[in-house]
Amino acid sequence: MNKNPSLILSPGPHLQSGITTGQIMWWVNISLVPIFIWAIYLYGWRVLLLTMSGVVGAALGEWLVCRLRKQKQTLQDGSAVLTGLLLVGTLSPGMPIWMPSAGGFFGIVFAKMLFGGLGFNVFNPALIGRAFLMATFPLAMTTTWLKPFDAITQATPLNIWKMDKIVSVDPLHLFLGLRSGSIGEVSVVLILLGASLLVWKKIIKLTIPLSVLAGLFAISLFSKVPLFHLLSGGLFFGAFYMATDTVTAPLMPTAQIIFGFCIGVLTGVIRLWGGYPEGICYAILILNAVTPALNHWFKPQRTSTEGSPS
Amino acid sequence: MDFLKTLTFLRGGVHPEDAWKKKTRYHPIERFVPKEVTIPLSQHIGEPARAIVERKTKVVRGDVIAEAGPGGVPVHASVSGTVKRVALAPHPLLTEATAIVIETDFEATPPVWEEAPDWNNFSNEILLESIRAAGIVGLGGAAFPTHRKLKCPPGITIDTLLINGAECEPYLTADHRLILEHPVEILNGAALVAKILGAKKIILGIEDNKIDAAKVLKAALEKHPSTVPVEIRLCKTRYPQGSERQLVEALTGKVVPARKLPMHVGVMVQNVATVLACLDAIAFHKPLIDRVLTVTGSGIQNPKNLSVPIGTLVQDIADYCGGLHYKTVKAIAGGPMMGRALGRLDVPVIKGTSGLIFLREEEVSKEGFGPCISCGRCLEVCPLGLEPNQISIYTEAGRPLETETFGTKDCFECGCCAFVCPAQRPLVQFIQMAKNSFRRVA
Repeated sequence: MNKNPSLILSPGPHLQSGITTGQIMWWVNISLVPIFIWAIYLYGWRVLLLTMSGVVGAALGEWLVCRLRKQKQTLQDGSAVLTGLLLVGTLSPGMPIWMPSAGGFFGIVFAKMLFGGLGFNVFNPALIGRAFLMATFPLAMTTTWLKPFDAITQATPLNIWKMDKIVSVDPLHLFLGLRSGSIGEVSVVLILLGASLLVWKKIIKLTIPLSVLAGLFAISLFSKVPLFHLLSGGLFFGAFYMATDTVTAPLMPTAQIIFGFCIGVLTGVIRLWGGYPEGICYAILILNAVTPALNHWFKPQRTSTEGSPS
Repeated sequence: MDFLKTLTFLRGGVHPEDAWKKKTRYHPIERFVPKEVTIPLSQHIGEPARAIVERKTKVVRGDVIAEAGPGGVPVHASVSGTVKRVALAPHPLLTEATAIVIETDFEATPPVWEEAPDWNNFSNEILLESIRAAGIVGLGGAAFPTHRKLKCPPGITIDTLLINGAECEPYLTADHRLILEHPVEILNGAALVAKILGAKKIILGIEDNKIDAAKVLKAALEKHPSTVPVEIRLCKTRYPQGSERQLVEALTGKVVPARKLPMHVGVMVQNVATVLACLDAIAFHKPLIDRVLTVTGSGIQNPKNLSVPIGTLVQDIADYCGGLHYKTVKAIAGGPMMGRALGRLDVPVIKGTSGLIFLREEEVSKEGFGPCISCGRCLEVCPLGLEPNQISIYTEAGRPLETETFGTKDCFECGCCAFVCPAQRPLVQFIQMAKNSFRRVA
């Protein structure tokens, strides 16, 4: 019994339902676990070291900026860890162990914290980290793909297609993830597993990922092997884990469809006619820049102040 | 018993947990009379009523103790006894206001309210005057004087009267119990109000978590056919189904334009408790002196539905319900979505108090809020298609005057946006701040 409780005064609503920002981030982190375990199984324990390296770099960046700006530490919201994991997901398993740290640090500091921290960044910090590594260490980024169950390097299926227009792996192996490739991208089935957890938890919606897949499928009809393009490279990882980042994606469903479809098309354009074998990273970054405009053009329809439409 | 299709409003809304209402939905309304009541002279918007009693005046339950201010309604003694003082006292909404404190005389003979034989044939003037004289205000929470709401401006005709039995606020079950325990009276009250308005049709809307209430009403309607055609419809359990605008959408399909009232589309909404009070006032000359409310939440030992004299202190009710849990940190007057947090427990229940909710610390977020992560949940749940995210970001940045384009002025503060916000941003408070800054400029 409490006769004189000290009561909290605050405006309504006095109840809250559902998930918090921190829970969202940690659920996404959890959904990535099977994907990383698979990569360790395929390419060995160095994947675990690379993962830790990426996470530490990203976390260090966030901690340092908070410290320098004398702000409250924000690591517990899980978003820096997520950036680290997503970055490592886009890297090749044979690269030097220290390198993901550099990418994570750069992505967090320059793409997130300098914009004002969580919620204020224009570009996906993980992809900025990858773009930074790509520009700085192109050799390590493009020549260190590993053959599954073997510590020898092997070009990715997209690399081989880019050079010789040969489809080197059959669709089933692409789907299951028995191929060389980036740490997070190889197994389509595990990406779908993680994504279904996020859909079930109502953390992501399928609007953007399906639009990305549709866009890429449409453009890769030009290549005569659309199914190969759909299942290879980082398309699924990008569509389900990068393009769905709420901060850098538009809000309204129509805008999301345009956003996703353009990402898919742009990815295909880079793959088919551009200089890189894979284009999802730059496609998403370019569309990130369009997000504010899409949010400006597409607004919810308000109940009118004049007449009744019925 | 069959019902037609379940109806709902057109967009937005949230689904609260069913468990919240289960705490009290099977508890019949209990009567509790305290030793002393504190009846504020301000019970609705407008000027307070003027006290016509003083210290030591003996009053009988139902006596007028304060005369109405302009456009207002009189205030009545809710218990028989002796006036102890007329003085400033804590108020649930106004912090402090003048109130009449009456000490209850439990020995006094209770007044008898006899049914007037011819109440069905009263003229409209008499009906409206009875409603005013009985001190009736909207009991859904807003507490606007009912006789004024029923007097439509010239040029407006009401064809349909909607009776609001949605009770969409989480936790509250008082209206649910009222329907179960007084279905015939509610139907009669609704018919009277329809007669005043000249409405040709009555639709009763009840959320589908209260099918038992809808069935009881249907059975009552079959036994006592109404003079005005009555439809009983189920609505989806979805907050804010019981907001006037949303109920009109659900039950009639008409969209009330933003910043307009249901009467502009020929519809009026009255709460079940209000029409019941109207019947009491007209047929029995019994003024509005009791309030049926739900006392609930994890912070109270024995949750109950109670009928108490208006002016009963929250502290007395809490004691009657077994006292507060030691972890209770929040007391709310009204529903948990739109109700007001109380800073102290020595405030009285007033006419508009539909519930008292006590929450423990684990249910009350004390952590600060985070930045907007553009998840879009607030846009999905807003029933008006506003942009609470943008309003909060601009207001937080000190630019509230730029938020009008996002719909600040249309917002009726249902709280769905803040209910779902993962960053726990106090979106309603930001919108209120923006509205206030418009007022300061105007």
